[in-house]
Amino acid sequence: MLNENSPNAPAEMKTAVRELPRLNMGLTVAICCSCFVIPGLGHILMGRWIRGILFTLAIGLMFLMGLSMQGELYTSDLNQAPLRLFGFFADAGIGLMYWLAEHSHRLGAGNMSARTYDYGTAYLWVCGLLNYLTALDAFDIARGRKP
Amino acid sequence: MNLSHFEALLVFALFVSVVFGIVTKNTPRDQFRYGVFVFFSFVCVATIVGWLMYPLPW
Repeated sequence: MLNENSPNAPAEMKTAVRELPRLNMGLTVAICCSCFVIPGLGHILMGRWIRGILFTLAIGLMFLMGLSMQGELYTSDLNQAPLRLFGFFADAGIGLMYWLAEHSHRLGAGNMSARTYDYGTAYLWVCGLLNYLTALDAFDIARGRKP
Repeated sequence: MNLSHFEALLVFALFVSVVFGIVTKNTPRDQFRYGVFVFFSFVCVATIVGWLMYPLPW
């Protein structure tokens, strides 16, 4: 098997590996931050339309469904049980939408008597955690580590 | 929204498998195959664990 680092490797193999576009660190950070404004926005800005739109739909719908299932958005209140900070970390991953829902004072309050409360809360946690993953994915693409 | 537990599980598995498939694989074919694998893994494991816990009294 011919390795691309081998001196005998064809020239096109070497260029194919090395020619991944790479943004500078400032733009990379901006791309990652944009993922926290709208999930998938960083990929859309880099021209990965399909990937970005799928992220926006999957994570955005998951967040909206979590809220409509009367799930709870955790806050960073240190007077509550300390383990709730993990929930806050997960919820906050969705970024701007978390802030908007939290400041609406009606969304994300959570209703424990609702049948879907647990699922709704899990939806809200997981969509935030998935958004961290998409930001890392955008970072890798922007730095040329991923095609 | 008032989904049953199973419907909520299906929707959850669908969204998560879409993101996992796209993030972890590079080609569209691999992404689709891995997404389908993750989706059915979620559904099957949750169903099996649910039935295993069914006889538990607490």
